Order: sequence, then structure tokens, then C-alpha cells
Amino acid sequence: MDWDQFDLNPKVIAALKKADIKSIKEILNLSGADLQRLMKLSSADIQCLLKTVSHMLRRNSMLTALQLYQDKDHLTSQNQKLSLGCSVLDNLLKGGIPLVGITEVAGESSAGKTQISLQLCLCVQYPYKYGGLESGAVYICTEDVFPSKRLQQVIDQQHKLRADVPAEVIQKIKFGNSIFVEHAADLDTFHNCITKRISLLLARGMVRLVVVDSIAALFRCEFGASDSVTKARYLQTFGAQLHSLSTRFRTPIVCINQVTDTVSDSEAAQCCCSVAGNRVSPALGITWANQLLMRLMVSRTPQPERPPGVMSHHTGSVRTLRVVFAPHLPPSFCYYTVKLEGVKGIK
Amino acid sequence: MQRDVGSLPLAPALRARLFTAGFQTVQELLETGPCGLSREIGISKEEALELLQVVRQECHGDVARTAAGSGASRKCTALELLEEEQAQGFIITFCSALDNILGGGVQLTKITEVCGAPGVGKTQLCMQLAVDVQIPECFGGVAGEAVFIDTEGSFIVDRVADIAAACVQHCHLIAEAHQEEDHLKALETFSVESILSHIYYFRCRDYIELLAQVYLLPDFLSEHSKVRLVVVDGIAFPFRHDFEDLSLRTRLLNGLAQQLIIIANDHKSAVVLTNQMTTRIGQSQSTLVPALGESWGHAATVRLIFHWDNSQRLATLYKSPSQKESTIPYHITVSISFGLEIASCKGIFRHIDKSVNDVFIVLPFSCLMNVTGNTGMSPGLLIFCTFSL
Repeated sequence: MDWDQFDLNPKVIAALKKADIKSIKEILNLSGADLQRLMKLSSADIQCLLKTVSHMLRRNSMLTALQLYQDKDHLTSQNQKLSLGCSVLDNLLKGGIPLVGITEVAGESSAGKTQISLQLCLCVQYPYKYGGLESGAVYICTEDVFPSKRLQQVIDQQHKLRADVPAEVIQKIKFGNSIFVEHAADLDTFHNCITKRISLLLARGMVRLVVVDSIAALFRCEFGASDSVTKARYLQTFGAQLHSLSTRFRTPIVCINQVTDTVSDSEAAQCCCSVAGNRVSPALGITWANQLLMRLMVSRTPQPERPPGVMSHHTGSVRTLRVVFAPHLPPSFCYYTVKLEGVKGIK
Repeated sequence: MQRDVGSLPLAPALRARLFTAGFQTVQELLETGPCGLSREIGISKEEALELLQVVRQECHGDVARTAAGSGASRKCTALELLEEEQAQGFIITFCSALDNILGGGVQLTKITEVCGAPGVGKTQLCMQLAVDVQIPECFGGVAGEAVFIDTEGSFIVDRVADIAAACVQHCHLIAEAHQEEDHLKALETFSVESILSHIYYFRCRDYIELLAQVYLLPDFLSEHSKVRLVVVDGIAFPFRHDFEDLSLRTRLLNGLAQQLIIIANDHKSAVVLTNQMTTRIGQSQSTLVPALGESWGHAATVRLIFHWDNSQRLATLYKSPSQKESTIPYHITVSISFGLEIASCKGIFRHIDKSVNDVFIVLPFSCLMNVTGNTGMSPGLLIFCTFSL
């Protein structure tokens, strides 16, 4: 760290070099008294140093909420979201998936989680005005092999799903070219993947969506009941790394999670989901839930309040997409089906 | 002039040298002069000159302070403190039961910590408070501004705009009902844009940025003297990973807590922190406890824990110096749709605007109301309402 570029008293700069302090992080990690002892300076000098260093780190970082609200630039605005490709589903989510933060899609098997994430991988490639981000996607498989046949099916039917987009725009996009598939079956490979390989793709701007299918599979086999501390540590580290990638590159991260049966009533009540009479809740517990911005749950079970007219139009089972928590959405749900062309909501 | 050398703000090594050389009072230092000092202590002439400069500044400062009669070591009686506290404003939360258990609302000059599982409503409460702190004084608010430090990225400005719009509408209805001059005058400057423009938003991506931001806060608050609320949402997130050395984490958190207490006191603002929950594995069962460890529990003056009981959200006042421990249910509302049955309303004003097909309900801030309808909410425990078609 080149201390000479800072606006500091030369005596302080000399003391910094002598004490062999190499970064702002080291300075802020020490308390005022420790710094005094280490650098042999008075408390007034140390206060001045701390303020200058903090200022250097945080200058121009203040925004008023009004500036955030009025920001229409698609690179920085909070209004910009990743559409799901269906207007009903987008309405449920008030625009789509937020760009900064980890979104979780949880549900029992064959509820449609992989279908939704495949759809997102295609939606992200559309231009901004059609709800996409004009970039590719990374799909990390941790358990099953990547469903390439299904992907091909959905690509061929894109014109049917996205009737709102002109045909020539759809034809120009080479969907298959921009979806990068990674396989990571254990924790170390996954760690390597997100720290090295994905950050490279993100830094080059080649992808703007990361899908992890599924995060629960990584933790199912390796941890017994007594390893909860190690498991929690891994979850927190992965969560923090994904979160920091999301913030740095303004990229949505979608993690697919599995569900487990709940033992106590309170957790189940929050998720309000029942499968064959048992209450289910997303796996990985509160440690993982703390890392999330938004949690969605999908299920195949018919909900009791479904209006009678819904079933008649749709062959195949009707599924439910429910918002469990999100900072900007009330708990709500909508119905959808999985068709040949993809996931479509039912009004 | 008889001030002890040990009380001067000097580097520890320099102080030690002065003691060994036998200097005890400031008078002796000034009499010796720079040349004599540099000879006796063994420092260079420039350092001696600087030392004397510091000494002279301090003495000058002392004189000014005793003349003004104020300062860090001011004496006052408990009665004065009581009067000051009673005159202190509260930031209301718009949920009368929650305000009741807090003793009036979120208290200024104190740190309030809100803990809870994800999705229970901590960020909602923080966004609500950032709007409520701006309510003009004639409506019972403190007419202040808010600083919002976001470490998780969960501050969604559209939701804040909705809350602000509902608050403005609510105040408009009260003004219409009461028809007083100062109400209408205050409403001229109370709009969604003005509310949003007085929320100062900082995004901190890791704990270093958070620490740096808190070092810069006192200067910021001196420049923006109307700020009455500082929210840190959430304090646990940046500190719960990446710390091999837990003692470093404890030390940093304690330092942070001290700085926030000083900020709360000096600038007469409320500090609200949100914390996560973690599982503590006991002998026979596991319970949810606030994160960041036992020592962090001492940092906040008031601690609120939000939790679920089946599908009802509950708020428990867990720690407070002046209120007793109690639990109340609460709701987070989005909108009350038309077709609402108002079962029995005590002392409220109802205004039916036929042109827009809405029923507006005006609540004085401390009143209970039975509201049933297709939202299934129970008595008077609304955190917030927006009224829409």
C-alpha cells in the first residue's frame, strides 16, 4: 500500500512504514490504543489517521433514498430485475428476480425447480427491454447430470413462450452458446468453482446469472449430526462468497434447495407447505436462510383455496409458486404449469 | 497550569520519557523551553517544539472549557437527567402494542437491537422507522432524518416509497379530521420525495467498510444535525464468516458498540441494529438465540426478539432498563382491500371517499381497532397499512 498518496502528516506516514502496516484492513483491525503503541503517536494523530483512512475507503458512498428511487439507469437501478419469461410469474415477484442477492427456490422433487432455472438461463440472454440482461448464465450441477435434452426442447420453443418478443430478436440469440455448465459434486470442487472459475466468467461479462442446482446436495452426505459446526461454517463461507460475487458484479444468484420434513410446528407454519399431509420446510436450516435475500417455494400439492375454474383449462398438474419471504414482497402465491415450451403461470 | 503531565494527549513513549526525567506539571514543561526539553529528555528540537505546541493548545482548551462551563466532565443531578429523559422524544412504530411495550416507541439516545429469524420483519421495521422518524412534530413525531447502513443489500427502495406514501396519506387524513393550521402547514413539506430525500443510504459490503463508515459517522452527523435515527441492517452479517480469530471479532464488535453508544448520546439519535438468530444446542433440545455471542448481548440497551408462533408473528421485549418483559403479536400489512368489515371501532374517524372506492380509516396513534376482512388480521396491531383499491 502506497501510503504517500494519502493526505497524511509525513510523521504519520513514516510511522506507518516503520511499523510495517501494509493495508487499510490492518489499521482498522487494531484498536486506537494498539495503534498508539505500535506507531508511537498521540491519540489525536491516530484519530486523524483513522478518519483519513476511512474517508479514503468510503468517499462518495452516500446516496439518498430519493436518488435510489429515481435512478433509471439500467446498470445501477434497483428497478432492474431478471424476468422469469412469464408475465404472471413476473407480477408475483414485482418484476422478477432482484439482481443483487441470493434467491432460493426450494421444493420437493419434480416440483419444477430445474425447469424454472432452465427458463431463467434463457431469459437472461434477452435484451434489457425484454427483461433480460444480455448475457449468459452459469449452471452448476451438484447432483444430477445437466438436462441438455430438455434445454434443447425449450430453446426450440422459445418463440412460443416469449410471444411478446419479435421473432427476429429470438432468432439472433444463440441460446446454447451462452450457458456454461459446471459440475461440482463435493465441497472442495464447489469452492474452487465459485472462487476461481465463476469469478473469471463474471469479470469478463460473459455471464450474468449463476444457478446452483442444488445447494443441499453438497451437504447431504458429508455431514453427520455431530458436524453441525463445520457444516455451518461451510454454509456461511459459501453464502458470503456467493453474496460478494453477486454484489460485485450485480448478478443474481439462484440456489435450488431441497426440502425436509419439519419436526416442530413453528418452522412449518412459516412455509405453509404440505406434501402428502407432512409439513415440509427447506433444508439446511437457519444458517443458510440467513444468507438469503428471497425465498421461493414450489410444490405440486393442490392448494385448498384454488378457484374451481383453474383446473379445467390445464392438463397436467397445476403447481404452486409461493413467496416465503422477501424484503419487497408480501407472502403470496400463484399457480403455474410446466409445458413443452417452459414454465407458464396461470392467472 | 498545574495540570498533570500524564493527562496530556501524547504518545506513550514520550510520556514515559517525561516521567523518568522528573516532569510532573505542565508549568514545569513550559518553563523549561524547547531547547532545555530536547536536552533533558533526549528528543530532537522539532519534537520538543511540537510537544510544547500540544501543551499550549491543551491549556488553552482547558481555559475555554472552564469558562463555558460545559464539557465531558460536566456534573449534573439525577433529577436533571430524569427531566431530560422525559422530554426525550420517541420514534413511533405505528403499531400501538409495540410502542406500548417499548414505553412509547424507539427511544432516542439508546441502542435498540432487533433480532429474529429470516423473513420475520426486521428490515420492514427498520424501513418503517426510517420513515416514521420524519413525521412532523405536530403529528407526534420527532421531525428528524435517518441514516440507513445496509450490509445485506435488503433495502428495496420501492417498498420504502410505499411505506412513505401510506404515512403521508395517514397524516393527511389526521389533518383533515382535526383541521388545524400547523398540521396543514407541516404537510406542505411532507411528501414521498421529501421523505426519501432525507434517508441517507450507505451500502457496506464487508466488515472493514462497516468499521470505516462508523468512524466517519460522527462527522457526518455533525454536518447533518437533523439526523435522529441510525439504522444498521444487519450487524451480524459481515461478522459471521471469515473470522478465524473470534477474539478479534469480539474486540471489533465491542469497539463498534462503544462508538455507536457515543454517537447515540452526542447526537441525540436512536441507533437501531438488526441481528440474526443462531441455534444453540442445549442438553436436551436446541433453541434459537441471537447471534454474535453472549458478550454482544451487553451492547444494546433494549433488545426486541421477533419470532413465530404457528403463523402468528410475535415480538418479545427481551431486555429493557425501564419496561417489563412482554410479548405482543403483530402483523405486516401491505394493503387493505375494499370489502373490509369494521367490527367495532372506538374513537376513530372513518372517511369514505366514494369517488375512488376506498375506505380510509384514520387511527389516532394509540387506539385499538377490530378489523376483520379477507386479510384475516386481528385487533389493532398493524405495523403499517397502505390503503388501495
